[in-house]
Amino acid sequence: MRVTVDNLTFAYTQKLVLNKVSFSLKSGDFLTIHGKNGTGKSTLIKCFLRLLNVPDGSIFLDDVDINHIKTFTNIGYVPQKTEFNYEFPITVFEILSCAYNKKRDAFYTSIINTFDLNKIYHENINNLSGGQIQRVFIARSLLNNPKLIILDEPTVGVDVDNVKTLHQILTDLKKQEITIILSSHDLDFCKDLTDYSLVLNDLGDYHFRKIGDENDS
Amino acid sequence: MIWEIIIFERLVMKMILSSFFRAIFEYDFMLYALIAGIIVGILAPLIGSVVVIRRLSFIADTLSHFSLAGVCFGVFLSRLITIKGFDPALMGIVFSISGTFLIEKLRGFYKNYKELSMPIVMSFGVALSGLFINLSNNIDAKFTTSLLFGSIYSVSATNLIIILVIAVIIFIVIFTSYKKIVTLCFDETYAAVSGINVKSLQLLLTIILALVISLFIDIVGVLLIASLMIIPVAAAILVGDSFLNTVITSIIFSEFSLLTGFIISYNTNLTTGPVIILINILILAIVMSISKVKSRHHKTKEI
Repeated sequence: MRVTVDNLTFAYTQKLVLNKVSFSLKSGDFLTIHGKNGTGKSTLIKCFLRLLNVPDGSIFLDDVDINHIKTFTNIGYVPQKTEFNYEFPITVFEILSCAYNKKRDAFYTSIINTFDLNKIYHENINNLSGGQIQRVFIARSLLNNPKLIILDEPTVGVDVDNVKTLHQILTDLKKQEITIILSSHDLDFCKDLTDYSLVLNDLGDYHFRKIGDENDS
Repeated sequence: MIWEIIIFERLVMKMILSSFFRAIFEYDFMLYALIAGIIVGILAPLIGSVVVIRRLSFIADTLSHFSLAGVCFGVFLSRLITIKGFDPALMGIVFSISGTFLIEKLRGFYKNYKELSMPIVMSFGVALSGLFINLSNNIDAKFTTSLLFGSIYSVSATNLIIILVIAVIIFIVIFTSYKKIVTLCFDETYAAVSGINVKSLQLLLTIILALVISLFIDIVGVLLIASLMIIPVAAAILVGDSFLNTVITSIIFSEFSLLTGFIISYNTNLTTGPVIILINILILAIVMSISKVKSRHHKTKEI
């Protein structure tokens, strides 16, 4: 999926968070968003998902303004671990089957197998480790055949082994020409996969560049 | 000696139960009360689960107080003019639904103190209730007590029909939108991204909540509505290991408390609502102590 951001500006009451951000990505590109807390990583993601109204500027997905898209169909979203509503019991099976509109078919089973979820399929999500939860959320995001996947801080609370697994999963997704937008504190995570990097600073300043390219925009 | 006590206990239980069940078939009001109770026993924890997951417990309490104003307004109207077939409970439904919009409207005025809307609407409801009771003629203390603590035996045939119709509508909505509701409850952002119309589904859930609350006023009374929805769910969360079995467990707890509450209150002449809630609290206390013992046992095992 092609992604174009054009002069995106966003401010909370008095604080300018995103100042005329512009960039574009081709299908299969991998963008990593970096920045300290409060610099607008989550705000940018929320603008993409239309959870915040964009007062100034536009976002286009495959050349269509997101404000003209009735319902999203090809976007996968992996939330920050804390966004999910924990404590009330729910199993992996319930999370995945509720996110999948059709009955269990070969595609659904292949996702379960790819992410090795069979062993934890009937486990309560509250009993799983950070890495296992992340696998469940990525599997869920793939159920609606996304052309664009947005991952918000996927490495938080995940141990070293599972970070490696996550890296492998993202490598495979990149091969499938899926556009990936990932926000992370960890500057080294997925460095080898990144095509573009967007660094957000205080006061809305940003730094967008192609990896390996010295000419910054 | 022990055997004699056991036989005596069984005899007493048999007498209590047989007189209760005989009464059900002898008196219409007992049968209506039982049917209404069974429906509420399913609906309350079903909606209660959504309320608990979405952290709406205070909205439930606020709406119950605003719905009370509706019932009081209905009573006031019925004393003023005679309308054939008019039930004050209908005004409770109207107020309860308009209360949800009022809360939403007031929330828009504040950025950081959105919860202020709830005590405002709640006090508004209580004040209106007091006013309408004051303005209505011939209202006795028994009536106001039944509004506050419920009186399930006053469920009329009309009430029962309203309860049945609303229950059927709610069941249809839940069964047809089950997947969407579960996704929305647990992860609103994901729901929005996956093509669910979050705003309209949220509105639908709030209207269902408002309907259920106004239905419950007759049964447990305004003060105990939120507890009937929340306590069985609070107990079930501690024992459930999946969403479905937690909801089913909460329905079992709720039905158990309703039926035993009925039998106890019938035989002791105590008000049904408080008895039901106290049994619910007892179940919660038992579940809490069992889960505490279990977790302690689990910890010792790990060490």
